[in-house]
This record gives sequence, structure tokens and C-alpha cells, in this order.
Amino acid sequence: MIRKYWTAYAISLQETLQRRSSLLMDRVGGVAIIVSLYYFWKALLGTKPSFLGYSGEQMLSYVLVMNILRSFVFTGRGWQLVGEISSGRISSYLVRPISYHGYTLALDLAQKTVHLAAAFLEVGVLIAAIGARVYLPHSLSTWLLFSVSVAVSSLLFFFMEFMVSSLAFWTSESGGPLFCFELGLQFAAGTFFPLDVLPHSLQKALAMTPFPYMVFFPINIYLERMAPAEAVKILGIQAVWLAFFVWAATAVWKLGLSNYSAEGG
Amino acid sequence: MLSIETRALTKNFSVPEKDPGLWGSVKSLFNRRWRQVRAVDSVSIKIEEGELVGFLGANGAGKTTTLKMLSGLLTPTSGEAVVLGHVPWKRKSAFQRRFSLVMGQRTQLWWEIPALETFRLNQVIYGLSDADYKKNLGELVDLLELQDCLSVPVKKLSLGQRMRAELAAALLHKPALLLLDEPTLGLDVVMQQKVRAFIKEYNKRNKATILLTSHNMDDVVELCPRVIVIELGRLLYDGPLAQLVSRYADHKIIRAVFDREVKAADLAHLGTVVEDGGLKAVLQVPRGQVSARAAKLLQGFPVVDLTIDEVPIDDIVRRIFTHK
Ligand SMILES: Nc1ncnc2c1ncn2[C@@H]1O[C@H](COP(=O)(O)OP(=O)(O)OP(=O)(O)O)[C@@H](O)[C@H]1O
Ligand SMILES: [Mg+2]
Repeated sequence: MIRKYWTAYAISLQETLQRRSSLLMDRVGGVAIIVSLYYFWKALLGTKPSFLGYSGEQMLSYVLVMNILRSFVFTGRGWQLVGEISSGRISSYLVRPISYHGYTLALDLAQKTVHLAAAFLEVGVLIAAIGARVYLPHSLSTWLLFSVSVAVSSLLFFFMEFMVSSLAFWTSESGGPLFCFELGLQFAAGTFFPLDVLPHSLQKALAMTPFPYMVFFPINIYLERMAPAEAVKILGIQAVWLAFFVWAATAVWKLGLSNYSAEGG
Repeated sequence: MLSIETRALTKNFSVPEKDPGLWGSVKSLFNRRWRQVRAVDSVSIKIEEGELVGFLGANGAGKTTTLKMLSGLLTPTSGEAVVLGHVPWKRKSAFQRRFSLVMGQRTQLWWEIPALETFRLNQVIYGLSDADYKKNLGELVDLLELQDCLSVPVKKLSLGQRMRAELAAALLHKPALLLLDEPTLGLDVVMQQKVRAFIKEYNKRNKATILLTSHNMDDVVELCPRVIVIELGRLLYDGPLAQLVSRYADHKIIRAVFDREVKAADLAHLGTVVEDGGLKAVLQVPRGQVSARAAKLLQGFPVVDLTIDEVPIDDIVRRIFTHK
């Protein structure tokens, strides 16, 4: 049983590596963003000891850790899913005895593995090249809480993306919904800047959505800007969102399949 | 045992209607009208285990749609089907383990990496033991002459190579039922021959049921003792290939050889001239008039030899394909 998905993982790993140039492009884009963000915050911080409650070290760590986290949490197979639905290629999976969710998750993990390795490499090189210091959590419990919250937010992203991509069953001409989702996500999750930068009312509003729970809060756990009790509460909310999106993704998928007309000869 | 049984299987599709042009597109954005297309209309068939059946019909007749329902990709609008003892669109894995669907213009192979990787994935998807996998793969590689194609990324294979790899991927788990949608599409004559020989062999060796669609007469004539013909979604004929001829051939063929040149125009009143080479001619003559016309031909022209034949089977099939 597990072997199915393990094999899918292993093959997908090969495939991702095979597409070296597209991987490279992805990463180069990412590096450009972190380098510019890094210098942006450095200039802004100047000689101030802290900014918005972030120490200089924490703020720059935010940028670097974000790069790693983003590579892990926010890489998915959404575009592939949209493509397979609208081209009808998904048919070839629907007639085989394999769960498409499990299969996609396995492919997803393969991609995450590659991107995570690349992100570590990039950040490592950057640290060596510009002599940046990265904040490291002091307590073991922080590491534990952080790891759990990252695992949950990866799954949360997986199911959210799966749900949005499944809308291609209806909007078969385009990946419009997925495109909007990705755009909003990057902003609302806090990948470009800590959400503390935003006005309070906006922060409050965002906290009602699942987005800040995906990378912003996990990073705050990592940077130990939260009491452990608060961190546990965050994990609880993440879990609720996860449960919701597992349900929603499954429901949309089922509806989509019944609407699916297996286009193409 | 029955492999496939359908009762009044019917599928409608809703398709959006759009007036032509840009304005039509804009209008349909706000007010989309839907039209029902009946792709398959009350089709009832029974296919026994081990049969090799040809599924024929013109473009758009509803063949692919039927295969999609039989493989569980589509849920019918109405009607029933039992395939290998299961209702296909419930997509039970006990059912999925025992059949395969191959579409000539589709691929299940991973594009960027060698076909062997897809085979390995199918091994675990279908839960084949290593021993069975090795044995089946060895057999398929031999039969399909795939030795050189296994370690090349699929996107670098030729169409014929890819098609054969496709068949191998679909047959690794030895399905009891094989649904083939245009398996020889786009292949050259030699390759068509190979794929045909393979299909025949697979059917014989494994007692597998095979239902195949094709627009290629040679496939049908060579492979399928029984054919099912549909037109506009409706069942038109179901029976032995041989009987299609007496049923649909409303004329015979007269071949004549002359000792002097004869103009085609002079023969026109005797039947449709399908071939004329001066010293010989081939005429299509309505069934009931064959003897009278032959007599006239013998009287009026310098005939040295004359034969009367049935219309070749592939002509009939071709006529069915082209709605004539
Ligand atoms: N997904 C779909 N949505 C709407 N209409 C469809 C869809 N699939 C098929 N049709 C329509 O249903 C009819 C039957 O199509 P189908 O593909 O089954 O024909 P076919 O017999 O396989 O033809 P061909 O020989 O060209 O492959 C056609 O009129 C086609 O336009
Ligand atoms: Mg077809």
C-alpha cells in the first residue's frame, strides 16, 4: 500500500531532477527575492536595535527562514492538476487502482524534497557570502512546536491547493482560480514581509483566514516571539483549518468528478 | 461467463451553445445556453469472456463515449452496465485491477522519464509481485520488441514505439478485459501489422476479452470475428463480420476483360464503373440485376473473361464509416 506512494515519490523525484532548467528558473527567482528583501530590511533597520518588535537578527532571519519555509510549504502540484483535469489526462489515473490524493501528495513530497534541499543550499551560500547571522531557537520545545506547525501547514496548503485546482473541473479553459489563489496567498501569508507591518484592522481580518497560519505564525514560533501556550493555540487553529480543508477539498473533488466529462478521445 | 453486459446504456452531454464571432463569445459569458447532445443512445450489448470484438462507427458515433462508460470514467445518463461483475463507474479497485483502457491518442506514460519507470509504478499500483512483474514484462518486451525503447525518455520515442510501450504498460497486470480505442492510429503499415499480431496473440494466450475501435479496415478484418456497429449513438448491427456483407452489400461486382478497348462511357448504362483500363473494367451492379446486366455485357461487348464477386468486406466497413 505504502509502496505505491513511495514508488510514485521516487519516480517523481527523478522527474523533477530531470527538468533541471525549470527547477533552476524557479530557484533563481526565489534567490533574487530573498536577496533584495534581505538588503531592503537591512537598509530599513539601519542602526536601530529593533523594528516592529523584531530585533535586527530576527528580521533578517525572518527573510532567510521564510525562503526555506516557502520552499517546503508552498510548493505543490496545483498547475499539474489543473493541466491534467483540463486536458483529460487525469483519466489515466481514474481507471487505475490508486488514490489520486495519495498519489498527488507523494509527487508533492518529492517536489518539496528537491526545493527544500535547494533552499537550504541557497540560504547556506548566502549566509557564507554575506556573513548573515541566523537566529536559532534556544529551547527544544520550540523546535518541536515549529516542526509540527510546519507539517500541519504543508498539509493545509496541499488540501487548499487541491481544492482550488479542482475548480478546473468547471473552469476547464484556465487555471484562473489557482492563479488568484497563489497571488493572494503569497501576500496574505506573509512571505514578502511580516504581517506585523500591516495596519491592525487588516491584521485582525487576516487572522480570520487560514493564510497567516501557513508561514507567518510558524515563523513566529521559530523566532520565539510567542509564548509556548500561544504557540499551542496556533497549532489548534491550524488543525481546525486543516480539518475544514480536508473536508472541502474532498467535497469539491467528488462534485468535480461527477461533473467530469473525460474530454478528449 | 459474460464479460460485458449493458442495458439501454445512454449518455447525454450538455454543450454550451455560442453564436459565432466575438460578440457571440461575450454574450455567452453572461447568458449561456446549453444544448443536449445524445452521444450514446440506449445501447444494449453482451460480450462473452475471451471474445475479440470490433466496435465500429463513423466519427462521432459514440464509440469512445461508450468505452469511457465501460471503463468507469463516465457515469451514464441512464441505463446499466455490468463489466467483469462490477458496475464500472463505482471505480472499485477489485474491478480496476482486472481491466485496462488504452486510448491511441492518450498516454499514461510519464513524459520526461523512461517508460520503465511507469512500468514500475504500475507494478506497485496493481500490486504485482516482483516475480510476476519480471515475467510479464519479459514477455511483453519480447512480443512488442521493446528492448531498445525502455530506457529512453518517453518524449523521445517515435509514435510507434510509444504505442507499443503504452500497450505494455496497460498489460503488465494481465487484465482480463482490454478496451482499445484506436490502437493503430498513426502507425505505419509494418507497425500496424505488429500491433495487430500482438493483440491477437494476447487474446489467445490469456483468454482475454478485447473490445477495440478502429477506423482501419485491416484491423477489423484481421482481428474481429464479431463486430458491433453504432451510428449516431444507436446500435446498428451486432453480429459476425461475415454477415455484415450480405446485410449491407446491396450490389455485386462484375469484372470484365475485353479483347478491344472499350470506353467507360459506353458501359455506364450497365452499372457504376469503378475502374476502367480500356481492356478491362470493374462495374458495380445492383444485386437483383446482376444476371441481366452480365448478359447484356456479354452480348454488347467483346468480352473474353467475366467474373461476378461480392463486394469486398472492407468496402462495406468503409461505407459504414462514411455514413453512406
Ligand atoms: N466531453 C464531451 N462533451 C460534450 N460532447 C461530447 C464529449 N465527448 C463526446 N462528445 C460528443 O459525443 C458524440 C460521440 O463522441 P465520441 O467521442 O464517443 O465518438 P467516437 O465514435 O469515438 O468518434 P471518433 O471515431 O471520431 O473517435 C460526438 O458528437 C461528440 O461531439
Ligand atoms: Mg473516438
